[in-house]
Amino acid sequence: MLFSLEWLARYTDLPEDTAELARRLTAAGLAVELVEETEHGTVLDVDVTTNRVDAMNHLGLAREVAVLFGGALREPWSEPPAEAGEETAAAVRVEIDEPALCTRYAARVIRGVAVGPSPDWLARRLRAIGQRPVNNVVDVTNYVLWETGQPLHGFDLAKIEGATIRVRRARPGERLVTLDGQERKLAPDMLVIADASRPVGLAGVMGGEESEVGPATTDVLLESAWFDPRSVRETAKALGMHTDASHRFERGADPELQARAGARAAALMAEVAGGTVLAGAVDVLAPTHEERHRRPAIALDLGRLDAFGGVAVPEGRATEWLRGLGFDVEEAGPRRLRVTVPPWRLGDVLEAADLYEEVLRIHGYDAVPATLPALAEPDAPPTPRQLLRGRVREVLAACGYAEAATWAFQSPEEAASLPALGDGAAAEEPVTVENPLSELYSTLRRSLLPGLVADARFNTRRGAESVRLFELGVAFGRRPGEEGAQGVVEREALGIVCGGAVGTPWDRRRELDLFDLKGVVEAVAEAAGVAIEARPADGLRGFLAGATAELRVGGRRVGVLGRLDPQSGEDDPYPLYLAEVELAALEADPEALRAAREVTAPPRLPGIEADLTLTHAVDVPWAEIEATVREAAAPELVRFRLKDRYTGRGVPEGAVNTTLTFLYHGGERQLTQEEVNEKQQALAARLESRFGWEEAAR
Amino acid sequence: MADPAATTETLSPAELARRFEAEAAEVPDRRAYEELKSRWTGKKQGVVRSLLARIGEVPPEERKAFGQEVNRLKEAVEAGLGRLEGEIGARERAAEAARARVDVTLPGRRPHLGALHPVTRVADEITDIFRALGYSVAEGPEVESDYHNFTALNMPEGHPARDTQDTFFVRGGGVLRTHTSPVQIRTMLARKPPIRVICPGRVYRNDNDLRHSPMFHQVECLAVAEGLTLGDLKGTLEAFIHRLFSADTGVRLRPSFFPFTEPSAEVDITCPFCRGGGCATCSGTGWMEILGAGIVDPRVLRECGIDPEVYSGFAYGMGLDRVAMIRYGIPNIRQLFENDERLLRQVR
Repeated sequence: MLFSLEWLARYTDLPEDTAELARRLTAAGLAVELVEETEHGTVLDVDVTTNRVDAMNHLGLAREVAVLFGGALREPWSEPPAEAGEETAAAVRVEIDEPALCTRYAARVIRGVAVGPSPDWLARRLRAIGQRPVNNVVDVTNYVLWETGQPLHGFDLAKIEGATIRVRRARPGERLVTLDGQERKLAPDMLVIADASRPVGLAGVMGGEESEVGPATTDVLLESAWFDPRSVRETAKALGMHTDASHRFERGADPELQARAGARAAALMAEVAGGTVLAGAVDVLAPTHEERHRRPAIALDLGRLDAFGGVAVPEGRATEWLRGLGFDVEEAGPRRLRVTVPPWRLGDVLEAADLYEEVLRIHGYDAVPATLPALAEPDAPPTPRQLLRGRVREVLAACGYAEAATWAFQSPEEAASLPALGDGAAAEEPVTVENPLSELYSTLRRSLLPGLVADARFNTRRGAESVRLFELGVAFGRRPGEEGAQGVVEREALGIVCGGAVGTPWDRRRELDLFDLKGVVEAVAEAAGVAIEARPADGLRGFLAGATAELRVGGRRVGVLGRLDPQSGEDDPYPLYLAEVELAALEADPEALRAAREVTAPPRLPGIEADLTLTHAVDVPWAEIEATVREAAAPELVRFRLKDRYTGRGVPEGAVNTTLTFLYHGGERQLTQEEVNEKQQALAARLESRFGWEEAAR
Repeated sequence: MADPAATTETLSPAELARRFEAEAAEVPDRRAYEELKSRWTGKKQGVVRSLLARIGEVPPEERKAFGQEVNRLKEAVEAGLGRLEGEIGARERAAEAARARVDVTLPGRRPHLGALHPVTRVADEITDIFRALGYSVAEGPEVESDYHNFTALNMPEGHPARDTQDTFFVRGGGVLRTHTSPVQIRTMLARKPPIRVICPGRVYRNDNDLRHSPMFHQVECLAVAEGLTLGDLKGTLEAFIHRLFSADTGVRLRPSFFPFTEPSAEVDITCPFCRGGGCATCSGTGWMEILGAGIVDPRVLRECGIDPEVYSGFAYGMGLDRVAMIRYGIPNIRQLFENDERLLRQVR
């Protein structure tokens, strides 16, 4: 918000050094973001926080300056010259139909104005703060707004039917063309300023075009009113409008300013546009006015203030500063004050904490000493979920995966392109955003995978030879028929995507496939102390049938692993493999986790290894071979695993050679090769008879 | 040369010593060496042993002298063999080294390590700092109720501060949380003081341009206990910032306004790029606005069932993305969420 230095100096003495002024204002909470020399004089750009509507004008900011530098405040109030015989009350009628939304309406009338350009001094001040001069009448209303903070409006009295102002709600079907030339459809909850028959202004937002002051105007009706913040905000929002007036009313205008600001504007108008100000004012106060704007009296304990700030505010300074800021301060005992809030700070200062801030911000936060709270027992330790996340990230990074962070927003099509995460998610509805960036970002993700596919493609389009990304994040769903935030289900998930080939021949290049990804998932599950298994799953949306599995933990479906359907969109340079697991499924209960973490001491004696190659039909699942080995295993078989799979020369069509490797161990006793051979032969016979390839049978 | 086996019978120990020297000089490798060794020092047939066997044939008065000569020969042979073995070992090692020679300037085979997201790295760092100060980590949902996101934070319906939050509204009710402050509310509703928590997490605002992402990350800190002061807020902030940046980082509090704290402050640090000298990043001011802080508004405490006459609290919040950008020199927030592996894999 811009302020003219020369204009500010009208109300208080400024320090010579503008940099010092900027520094002190900033330190008091009115951050001066820029000091700029313009052709209209020096201008300050001040970031006035929303609670300080009182400082959004030159007089208000000058009040702060006066307190900071100990100067006097020169207020601009003036009464218009008493030369008219005609009474304002005889010239206009004002009726407030909605006392809850307008507690005060002060009107002035100036007859015989000559509408024309404003004098230079006035135009210059407006230009300095980026306002465009229009004509002397309009400029005065604008000037007084930027001077005192009271929004004003001038009507052409000749256009006000019945010389009557009614503050009422819009009637069904009413329309108004506002000053900006837009025709506005009014809703019945909008507060309007109407004459005897129709709306002539949107209360607190903008006047109507028809009653606008123009070159032909001779008599001006000047409005100075107080409107309800919420009503103004809702009307402005509904109509997509934002004006200097609505900005102030929304934040709570000073309810005691209307008569004074009206008089000030009328006097100034007579000065710069000629004309005669009618005698007296019409100042209608709704019966609710006093109650609505009661000024709270707050007890301020200076001892507590000092303890709170950790500083000793010098005796008398708190009183001096608060008075300077407009508070009424009375002694209420030793080091106790009774402080009454000025009308321009009503919404902002409500209790002692607010007064602490007032005093301390003038005193300066720099003076507050830095202390550390006395040590108490530490707060709670990390939760199992927090520890799990750390472990999962650690394993994935060690496996070569880079962590991504993806927006949760997707298009409806993208969100539906892959299955929703979670066992019950299919029955849920997508969570959608009422006011999205665009339709492309209107749905909250139901799975992390569509986002990761998009990320993978971002990389392949830039020539990446491989993609290895993961993300930890939330997938959303809404339980049907359940409204509000509590109807939304958030499932935390681990999503992974990979594809391509890693490394050069020198690096021992490796083509990534489904089993690289499955290994990563298994490593994560193992680190988490959870057994995860993959079951063939066909018909999952977006996945290639025959290369896709459901992931299960304890029989429950907890995720998916598979190859992205190559038909699903772009031409990818290599197959993409995807995995997603619900994080909750990886959260082993503490007892199981402790058990899973226990290590076995390695035996003192070496074991004996043995290999076995089984030729079997390709459609025999490894899981069955594995189960058979487990079933038939001698107690001395301590470990077995897949060593290799081979098809090609020497292997019949439709068959595959599976080589397993076994490790036998006798514990404290050294096994003999003969013993091992015996056990191995029995196992081989069992596997052979169950799965062995018999040419004749084919 | 005459056949040595034929002549050792007749040669004197001194002559034999010369012969050993001559033979040793001809040994090319370990095999020849082993042969030489067994021929001269062999327990049964060795030259030295056979010589000693001849002592009976020597006249008694010469035996002492003969014995001494044989001993000298034995010492000379053993010393010679020892020297020879050393030489052969050295030759063998040299040959092995020649065979094992590689170009050590060839690149190492790097394990394919992954990387954590810059925001995760920074969040972990901040979490560690706060855990050391005795704080725990609290979490909450990303789709929040209007009550937790606004009303309980002293932003009732119609409050103008709501407009500044650029809220995404969810169909059917709820909002995407605009800050992690609702987690503070949930914590205070669920627990009694003393409370020391930080709340990191994703937040959302309807703002999308070069400097804003509609999804970003915050971490907030909340402490509630008896007798906490503005000085405690300042001290905790300084301790945190000095650990996160550096011990000589300047910290400046400027009064500001947030509906949920009173007093409120914007916190500036000396610009980490120019160290306060003024540069383009800090618009020449030497300061960088990094977080918002304040004393928890008594109205917020009361809303959560905590008596502000007994307890006070402080809170602050900052953007994690901003810190990650400073830490890793990432100029544009959008690059944090493009997930370009070429960038992500550089994060250490």
